[in-house]
Amino acid sequence: MAARGILLASLLLFSCLAVTCYGIVLFSSLPSTLVVTASPKQGQVLKAGEDKITVTWGLNQSLPAGVDSAYKTIKLKLCYAPISQVDRAWRKTVENLSKDKTCQFLIVSRAYDASNKAVQSYEATVERDVPTATYFVRAYAYNSDNVEVAYGQTTDSHKTTDLFQVQAISGRHVSLDIASACFSAFSVVSLIGFFVVEMRRAKQSQKK
Amino acid sequence: MESQRTKPPPPPLPFSLLPVDENQKATEFRVFSISKPHMLAFHLAWLSLFSCFFSTFSIPPLLPIIRDDLKLTDADIGHAGIASFVGSIFSRLAMGPACDLFGPRIASATLSLLTAPIILATSLVSSPQSFILIRFLIGFSLANFVANQFWMSSMFSTNVVGLANGVAAGWANMGAGVTQLVMPFLYNILIKYFNIVPFTAWRVIFIVPATFQVITAITVLVYGQDLPTGNYKKVRTQYTKQTQKENLLGILFRGLRNYRGWILALTYGYCFGVELTTDNVIAQYFYDRFHVDLQLAGTIAASFGMANLFSRPIGGVISDKMGKRFGMRGRLWGLWVVQTVAGLLCVLLGRINSLWGSIVVMCGFSVFVQAASGLTFGVVPFVSQRSLGVIAGMTGSGGTVGAVVTQLLLFSGSKFSKQTSISLMGTMMIVCTLPITLIYFPQWGGMLCGPSFDPEKANEDYHLLE
Repeated sequence: MAARGILLASLLLFSCLAVTCYGIVLFSSLPSTLVVTASPKQGQVLKAGEDKITVTWGLNQSLPAGVDSAYKTIKLKLCYAPISQVDRAWRKTVENLSKDKTCQFLIVSRAYDASNKAVQSYEATVERDVPTATYFVRAYAYNSDNVEVAYGQTTDSHKTTDLFQVQAISGRHVSLDIASACFSAFSVVSLIGFFVVEMRRAKQSQKK
Repeated sequence: MESQRTKPPPPPLPFSLLPVDENQKATEFRVFSISKPHMLAFHLAWLSLFSCFFSTFSIPPLLPIIRDDLKLTDADIGHAGIASFVGSIFSRLAMGPACDLFGPRIASATLSLLTAPIILATSLVSSPQSFILIRFLIGFSLANFVANQFWMSSMFSTNVVGLANGVAAGWANMGAGVTQLVMPFLYNILIKYFNIVPFTAWRVIFIVPATFQVITAITVLVYGQDLPTGNYKKVRTQYTKQTQKENLLGILFRGLRNYRGWILALTYGYCFGVELTTDNVIAQYFYDRFHVDLQLAGTIAASFGMANLFSRPIGGVISDKMGKRFGMRGRLWGLWVVQTVAGLLCVLLGRINSLWGSIVVMCGFSVFVQAASGLTFGVVPFVSQRSLGVIAGMTGSGGTVGAVVTQLLLFSGSKFSKQTSISLMGTMMIVCTLPITLIYFPQWGGMLCGPSFDPEKANEDYHLLE
């Protein structure tokens, strides 16, 4: 059983490496070996710049040993749920990971220590440049060539469960509004001022 | 008239700097001088139109940030792009009679000063609907193109009017290309050195195009002059009999009745309209078909627009040279040949499968299509003198109608692949250039027929002799 397990694991590993030899990594080729959780519950709304998010990640302990021998770095990313990708080609999910736009925000990047079996965790405030949308969290494992070799995510394979929302900051500030109003007023007033001056000059030349 | 009897007449304007014809219009075009009033008018005109193009196209380079802030979808972005052109269709039509009545100086400066607040309002937008509305309203400022061409046609004589129109419009068109480089640059500075949040940084930058537009408008008002002999109000009150006949409806109908204006509107829709459409789709085309990165695709798109620096003026020069040798017939033939070649290159662009081949063909296409725009405005000044503004307005808005129609038919939705759409656009160009053969001036001829001077007809509509 253990031998079969090791054989399966090494076959998986070799197939992953074989694919990466050609430079293209397909998402469907990645095994889901990481267990990832995130603090927000289903449907919870986090405020960007204010609320905190805690993510935890670790290897699935039921897998045979040696599966994670190539993992060097783990990166946790905030990814768009399908509902936020509708009619938005710049967030499209494609198989080729170098062209995939699903996960655009990096939460944290950590070196992977295979000997440490404990679950890692990280807490951070949601960045202020995260837009309003529905998200889930995914972790990618990278090898020493910085190529993806495995992943794990907080939601199911159809990306329908455990999705949470982020409410973005409003970019507007009172000072900006006031500055815009002042410049606009200057523009209109200078136009009116010009007409007034022109009319006065016309009247003066008529009197003369 | 009393004032002229009691006071000595004012000293004549120093026209010795530029040679002038009998209408005091300059017969030479010296780019690097700012002699009053001709070359100064040229520099004021192209700079104020440059600021309008700069403002109108200042939103697209920031779209990657704006679309996330305002929760836009692809459909919203497409609608906003079309809305920005639709806005300019009506404003260009209205600008024509406005120039005829008030003069290009007041008309263009008023428009610039009234659209500047709208540009500033961009920083207040927070929903897709208001985004589309803002792009629609900012598009109004493109009507200054009509005022620009009208002004150049009033200041420069027939032997250099093509060149003056071409350089003024070409250099101003570069505003659309320059903004693609400047806005992201300013955005990066705000993000990196001032540590401003992205969703605020993009809003702050719009103060730059708005201020630029206000400054150019004020300089036009202070230093500009409508005609070589003075400003409209002063000059027109000297011809009281003519001004009594002139009213808005009269000028408008005279222009609309002229079939040449309609033909030029159609053909301009398929050279300038095609140029606008290509500005919108070319970056995505290279990105999707040849998988170049976004930065390179943006540079290719910007260089397509920047070719205006010399290609549109070259069109004007060709028009003037053909006019000198062959008269109006030469100008019409030049326009037809250049625009048809541009159409052929467009068809070819859609069929080439290699990246470098496409870039080379695109460069050739950009030169010819922009030269065709320059050649069109080498013909427009001769169609009607009293309704010059209306004709220029019809032609100018025909350009944007062409852009809207082409984008709606070929580039929204996925009926055709992008390369097929581009080839179809080229075919449409060739077909819609054929009506130039129908343009006929009794005293100058048309493409296929010689002149047949009809004195009655000539006096009614034309006041220009080449």
